Amino acid sequence: MVRLYLPNDTSSRAAGAARLAEVWQERTGIELIRTSARGAFFLEPMVERDMPEGRMAWFNVTPDDLPQILAGKGGTPVNEIPFLRGQTRVTFANFGVTQPLSLDEYRAHGGLKGLEAARTQSPEAIIEEIRISRLRGRGGAAFPVWHKWQVARETEADRKYVVANADEGDAGTYCDRMVMEGEPFRLIEGMLICARAIGADTGYIYCRQEYPAAAHTLRAAIQKADEAGLLQSHGHRLRLEVVVGAGSYVVGEETALLESLEGRRGVVQARPPYPAEAGLHGKPTIVSNVLTFATVSTILARGGEWYSSMGTERSRGTVVLQIGGRVKQPGLVEIPFGATLAEALERFGGGMAPGSRLKAVQVGGPLGSLFPVSKLGIQICYDAFAKAGAILGHGGIVVFDHETDMVELARHYTVFTAEESCGKCTPCRVGSLRSREILERIQAGRGTADDLALLADLGETMKTASLCAFGGRAPYPVLTAIEHFGEEFRRLTK
Amino acid sequence: MATTAVETVRLTIDGVPVTVPKGTLVIEAARQTGVMIPHFCYHPKLKWDANCRMCLVEIEKMPKLQTSCSTPVAEGMVVRTATAVVNEAHKSVLEFILANHPLDCPVCDQGGRCDLQDFSHEYTPTTSRFIEVKRVFEKEYFSPLIETQMNRCVQCLRCVRYCDEVMDVKALAPVGRGTMTEIKHFTHHELDCEFCGGCVQICPVGAFTSRLSMYEFRPWMLKRADTICTYCGDGCQITIQTKENELIEVMSAHGAGRNNGDLCARGFFGYHATTHPDRLQHPLIRRNGQLIQTTWEEALEHVAETFTRLKLQHGPAAFGGLIASRCTNEDLYVFQKFMRLAIGSNRIDSSARYGHINGVRALRRVQGTHRWTVTFEDIVSADALLLVGTSLTETNPITGLKVKEAVKKQGAILLTIESLVPAVGTISNITNLATHHVSAHPEQFGNIVLGLIKAVIEEGLVDQALAQRATSYVQAISEAVRACPWPVIENATGATSSTLKETARTFARAARTIILVGQGVLRAPGGYGIVMNLLDLLLLTGKHDQPGCGLAPLAEENNDQGAVEMGTVAEFLPGPSDLNDRPARERIAGLWKEELPQGAGSTLIKMLEEARTGKIKAMLIVGENPVGSLPTGARAKEALEQLEFLVCQELFLTETAALAHVVLPACSYAEKDGTVTNTEGHVQQVRQAIEPIGESRPDWQILSALSGLLGYPLEYGESREILKEIRSLIPGYGLLGPAPTPPRPDQTVVDRYLREGYTEDLASRYSLAGEGQAERGSRKEGSFALVVGQTLFHSGKLSTRAKGLLQIQAAGFLGLNPANAQEIGVTEGDRVRISNEQGEMTTTVKLLDRVPEGLALFPEHFAEDRLTDQRR
Ligand SMILES: Cc1cc2nc3c(=O)[nH]c(=O)nc-3n(C[C@H](O)[C@H](O)[C@H](O)COP(=O)(O)O)c2cc1C
Ligand code: SF4
Ligand code: SF4
Ligand code: SF4
Ligand code: FES
Repeated sequence: MVRLYLPNDTSSRAAGAARLAEVWQERTGIELIRTSARGAFFLEPMVERDMPEGRMAWFNVTPDDLPQILAGKGGTPVNEIPFLRGQTRVTFANFGVTQPLSLDEYRAHGGLKGLEAARTQSPEAIIEEIRISRLRGRGGAAFPVWHKWQVARETEADRKYVVANADEGDAGTYCDRMVMEGEPFRLIEGMLICARAIGADTGYIYCRQEYPAAAHTLRAAIQKADEAGLLQSHGHRLRLEVVVGAGSYVVGEETALLESLEGRRGVVQARPPYPAEAGLHGKPTIVSNVLTFATVSTILARGGEWYSSMGTERSRGTVVLQIGGRVKQPGLVEIPFGATLAEALERFGGGMAPGSRLKAVQVGGPLGSLFPVSKLGIQICYDAFAKAGAILGHGGIVVFDHETDMVELARHYTVFTAEESCGKCTPCRVGSLRSREILERIQAGRGTADDLALLADLGETMKTASLCAFGGRAPYPVLTAIEHFGEEFRRLTK
Repeated sequence: MATTAVETVRLTIDGVPVTVPKGTLVIEAARQTGVMIPHFCYHPKLKWDANCRMCLVEIEKMPKLQTSCSTPVAEGMVVRTATAVVNEAHKSVLEFILANHPLDCPVCDQGGRCDLQDFSHEYTPTTSRFIEVKRVFEKEYFSPLIETQMNRCVQCLRCVRYCDEVMDVKALAPVGRGTMTEIKHFTHHELDCEFCGGCVQICPVGAFTSRLSMYEFRPWMLKRADTICTYCGDGCQITIQTKENELIEVMSAHGAGRNNGDLCARGFFGYHATTHPDRLQHPLIRRNGQLIQTTWEEALEHVAETFTRLKLQHGPAAFGGLIASRCTNEDLYVFQKFMRLAIGSNRIDSSARYGHINGVRALRRVQGTHRWTVTFEDIVSADALLLVGTSLTETNPITGLKVKEAVKKQGAILLTIESLVPAVGTISNITNLATHHVSAHPEQFGNIVLGLIKAVIEEGLVDQALAQRATSYVQAISEAVRACPWPVIENATGATSSTLKETARTFARAARTIILVGQGVLRAPGGYGIVMNLLDLLLLTGKHDQPGCGLAPLAEENNDQGAVEMGTVAEFLPGPSDLNDRPARERIAGLWKEELPQGAGSTLIKMLEEARTGKIKAMLIVGENPVGSLPTGARAKEALEQLEFLVCQELFLTETAALAHVVLPACSYAEKDGTVTNTEGHVQQVRQAIEPIGESRPDWQILSALSGLLGYPLEYGESREILKEIRSLIPGYGLLGPAPTPPRPDQTVVDRYLREGYTEDLASRYSLAGEGQAERGSRKEGSFALVVGQTLFHSGKLSTRAKGLLQIQAAGFLGLNPANAQEIGVTEGDRVRISNEQGEMTTTVKLLDRVPEGLALFPEHFAEDRLTDQRR
């Protein structure tokens, strides 16, 4: 009986793992172990087996490759895969190794150590540990995590909530989904630590509609954790529930998410009060990104000092990038903050797809700024990006090649923002629609130079006056496109 | 709760230093320095939403411009509202808003009072650089009374938030995304809600408008009169707008009156009742059995002659007088003076008799006040509110809003004892907000109160100080409730002892508690006793004399309270003073320069009986319609037909007026000046908005004219002179301030009550009502206990002449629980015949989740189905 490891997450399945499993199911002599994925999606479906010399991997496997694998021929040692070797896997250390729903494996690979540590510590000590780690939220706003926890801890209330933001709306990002499908106990552990720190008795995982497998895995994991007594702490049981989202981009914004959780339209609410003071049902609530929670457990297990030893001055620890677009090697990359964008693309992207040349890179999802080739020297950390008027967002990186029509791309962004604006505030509601109209006018050859000025003006108003970061960021992709590729726009205007 | 000094914060706005209470929003602080920051979505009544982004200001040390409507002040804050950056932001946001606005100002009702128009004049240009077409919404039929013009909507959501936060109706919602968001309602056909008009009033542009007044006017052409709505005891301030003597619309400004600008359907849409074409225009006199038109001279002379003749023949005691407590204090006062002096009879009563008098009598007896010891403000800041038999939203909608505010915004605990059950519907349901609700048949309210008192005794919730001060009182009540065993209470009321104990504990634990008693108790047989027992509840729990605590009987009619205070009830002289209170009689006689008549008063019911037996020969009835209002069992028609002479002063030819020998056309509240006293005891000014309809005259003028002909001239040039006279009798009556100053319980009266006063009727008050009757739930199949109550859309019978209200509700209905309806095989809209011992009639079924099983709800306004025919 040969044990073969085959990832079972959505991306790998789509890349062919599902088909392999189906075909090989009948085969005797092999035992298929369904694991999480390593995140090297250009290699999927990737099959691994233990060999005397260590884990070996076969790439882009088809059903017919089985004899070769069984023969142990043509494999690559996993720790020699360049894409993976260059990474510093912290949160994603066990990916590709363990089975998502095996609590024993999770424990065997270092899981639950953070929770155990937390349970011997006072809530204040937990928050102090997080403060020392200098962890900032991974959902986009990069707010210091300890500070939010502290506010929620200190706000008196009869109930408090922990909410994991699993709405992962940025196109081309999937690290949250990978955590939920691949190591759900990690998320649960992080939420339990947070609940203990702030004194919450109920938790929700707000999972986007497009992630049914993640929701399914999480529910199963919650049940297992409950059966194992993990949700029980100091005489309290954390109620933990998966809630399937309402399916819009803005609902990922924390106040909109809480509205949606309360059964209303997912529309942004003005802050203050911040959720940490008055969130779900008006009670102190920590809303954090899945990745944030997933990082917390390791910090508690290995210490804040250790975590903060990685990264740059004000961006500590590791950053999780998801590289996509016209590169050879799309996939998930976890490295310490501090590399430049060019380096990251070079080391992991593996160059451009055959026949294409790099034209622009967008970082941080559909609201992120565009970088032309000349600006790729920027350091990957919150400060450098903030200074450049850009965002790291959720770590999504999309590479565009030389054939990209920048006017069409800009219009495409405005179509997105006009459609996804929650419509609550005037600047974003009106501005996103009017931007689209202006760009369409330009595309149709009816635009003037004044229209470009109008776009800039309108963008300024959106930036200054919008209620949330959606409207505040919406002009950036368009305006950076005009800034760096202005010629393409001017060519079309009279 | 100790009253601590309000913490304040100092800041500067455009260089001007201001000090404001902590928590004040920058936009409000600016208003105090005279700076109006432009805004659309902000409204002081609503929780800020910060969606329009119009109100941006610069605040030192903050990186971006901030919305002043959502930023609370902070110590040392430096705000700038008029820098170039701020102006540019205002201009840009306004340009965005105008980008979607049709600019159909010339045909918009809001024209002239539109925030958008106002602000865009400030920031020229008024056009937008966006040349694409404006959004166009398909026009949809919204409702018979409220019309929407979504193209004009600036999506500030004030309407939606108002309907939710203030009204608790939640009828409106934004539907659709982005710019194409429209404000819609939840029902599939047309808007079905409380029709409070709040959304129309609060819309900053003309996107929500009233159909009653649409396109008829431009705001600046209208004449305005600030007056008081007469539909219920809450006494809302309204502004009646007229054009060439025609009523155009009613509104109520934010901050105005005790209602703070909020209204209900009756106030907002009910104003056409006064100009209904059926209004009596001329005096009528009976000739050969027919009422025919006559002149004032002839009518008045005929009345005076006949009165004189009958007085000579039968003496003054053969006269009875009845007046509606919808009249002004001035009308009421002159009426009783007329009856007492010009006629010489104490047989006087008013519609306060139906219920309100029971509350006042109990208050007088226990604590020596005839008014509430609390105000609306106290309701809002109460810790716990106990509602007993109120149907609050339907009868006193604005008191209802105060309760909602207390619960929703201030976190008060609400305890309700009502016949309806919590259920979401198109009309807000106060029991939905209750933490403890006891649903019971109205006949059981008294037993539940007994249960609460029993719980207070058994749970050791009696106030220690009281136990020492009034040992025998506490003892007597303890013994009395001991004789009411729990199983009997539980069986009769359907409420468990644990529920009642929990309710009692919650009530006793709260510091500021107010009991609101409604018509369900006040009008019920034994209602007076229940109010007495509720006062015992306050005394026993030690809350009676505490600040912010008290018992508040809810007046149903707009001037129930005034009717009592003006002495137009059988037992009182003006003051009110007891009819046989010697010093009071002397004082009044001194002022009137005339002796007061001797002899007892007669209540309405007694008068009817005296009419039937021939003891009373003549009656003067002002604005009251006993034939239409009293249950058939009272045999009012038969009684009045016995009279030798009946005179009515009326707006309409009511069932009662139709029996009269002379009918004198009276002015409605819209045509006269005067004062009315609301349920809190706040005296407010009624102001004339239109010229009298036809030849109608104010009631007091008619009485004044008659008195002259009778030889006892009661002469007043204008209503203000009457108020002056009232003030000389009741010092300070109607200090017309913004809020009433409630009296405190008179401790000597309380002491007397606790010493011995309680004994006289303790036994009867503390015995279970209906004991030994058939068990609960054992109703005959297909039979229901009928609860006759008010609906939100009508008030008495007057409102059934208001075209707006008829469009919402044109006919009576029978409200049934859906489960019951299914049992008996009927459904929404079915015509059913209902019958009881008193008669039968046909009506339409309405399924209502809030009606508990076994009850049937029937509104009291449409006793005759004639109305349904009149409709089309
Ligand atoms: C338009 C918009 C969309 C957002 N979508 C997401 C999302 O999908 N997932 C997420 O974690 N945070 C999202 N955020 C950020 C959240 O508002 C919030 O900052 C975050 O969940 C906090 O978690 P963190 O502290 O772990 O970053 C979004 C913010 C905006 C303005
Ligand atoms: S900026 Fe856009 S997404 Fe954010 S609140 Fe305003 S309308 Fe909604
Ligand atoms: S009129 Fe109806 S929709 Fe408008 S605020 Fe009142 S209850 Fe709500
Ligand atoms: S209808 Fe009026 S109040 Fe309601 S959102 Fe539109 S503009 Fe605001
Ligand atoms: S008034 Fe402040 S944002 Fe609308």
